[in-house]
Amino acid sequence: MRRRGVGAGAIAKKKLEEMSKQLETFRGHLEQFASKHKQDIRKSPQFRMQFQNMCAAIGVDPLASGKGFWSEMLGVGDFYYELGVQIVEVCLALRHRNGGLMMLDELHKRVLKSRGKLAQDVSQDDLIRAIKKLKVLGNGFSMIQMGGSYLVQSVPAELNMDHTTVLQLAEENGYTSAAEVKAALKWEPERIDHILTYLLREGLAWLDIQATDGPQYWFPALCSQDAALELNETSP
Amino acid sequence: MGFSWPWQYSFQPFFTLQPNMETRQKQLAAWCSLVLDYCRHHRLYTLDLQEAQESVLFNNRQIQRKLPSEVVIIVLEELRKKGNVEWQDKGKNRCLVLWRRPEEWGNLLYQWVNKVGLTNTVCTLYELINGEDTVKEEFHGLEEWLMLRALQCLQDEGKAEVFGVGEGQGVKFF
Repeated sequence: MRRRGVGAGAIAKKKLEEMSKQLETFRGHLEQFASKHKQDIRKSPQFRMQFQNMCAAIGVDPLASGKGFWSEMLGVGDFYYELGVQIVEVCLALRHRNGGLMMLDELHKRVLKSRGKLAQDVSQDDLIRAIKKLKVLGNGFSMIQMGGSYLVQSVPAELNMDHTTVLQLAEENGYTSAAEVKAALKWEPERIDHILTYLLREGLAWLDIQATDGPQYWFPALCSQDAALELNETSP
Repeated sequence: MGFSWPWQYSFQPFFTLQPNMETRQKQLAAWCSLVLDYCRHHRLYTLDLQEAQESVLFNNRQIQRKLPSEVVIIVLEELRKKGNVEWQDKGKNRCLVLWRRPEEWGNLLYQWVNKVGLTNTVCTLYELINGEDTVKEEFHGLEEWLMLRALQCLQDEGKAEVFGVGEGQGVKFF
């Protein structure tokens, strides 16, 4: 019994040594790969995403710290840090308009615009990574899944499932109404009223009482900003 | 050049007074700038409330939304507090829209006077408003009552003196 136990331990120890050796080798290769393809990682959003996935597979997070081999080697830490600052700037600049909610597409467009044409390309995946890093600063930033995309929230309003469900319902038209919520979700009138009132109070929704079929709750964050085209004054 | 409307103008709830105070403040601020920009663009100095109700300013037919008259009054009252609107009757049916306040017109005028060296000279109001020398100036074509008020402001500051010349009026700048 005793002999067998020692034997098994030795084998396990040997295996562990082998595995960590393998992992070391793999890390080494990854580092070589990273330094070789530094330019590609910086320039191409697709390449960057694949590299991030590779790193995640072996438990390396190049964004985990500002210092250390990865960020110094690639400057990726700086890249996401810079991107984070740009995201905060865009969100702040538009907060008076949308109450602190913005579709990821819209944010993407505006970040690209603010970076200028000469800056390296940035994908929505990069934005999502940068926003996740911003969460470290507190609960100011979060993302709400909306169909195939995300709604980025830059104010600390507490949004629960009911709120986000209503937002998802409003996504298509940019607005919703008590009647629509009732038809789609079969909620009690009190619950609907409570949720819609909350969204108004948090400044996320605007009320329109001139629609023919009852009050509508509009979300500037969900209305395409391009719709506000400059109207020719003779056209209305 | 066409007038460029702000994004809010095609946003339906902009035409409903917002129940949330913070949102309402943003809404009223946007309405105030819209009214001033619109009047400046069209060089309008007065608003008749009944007419204004039907004008494109408060009535966006494309989205079938109209700012209710009581909200129009709230917006104009906001502007009155800032010195940009003066009611012409107690019933609040007509008002002056001073998209540039009289003292601002006065300053503009006085800058020009100094630039062209007209201090210690007498000019008629007609010259200032319609003269060839002022064609390129913003105050060219200004309504006479407003020009007088601007000059009055300068007079109060000791920069000008207004007096009657024959049938019209004249001014001497210091």
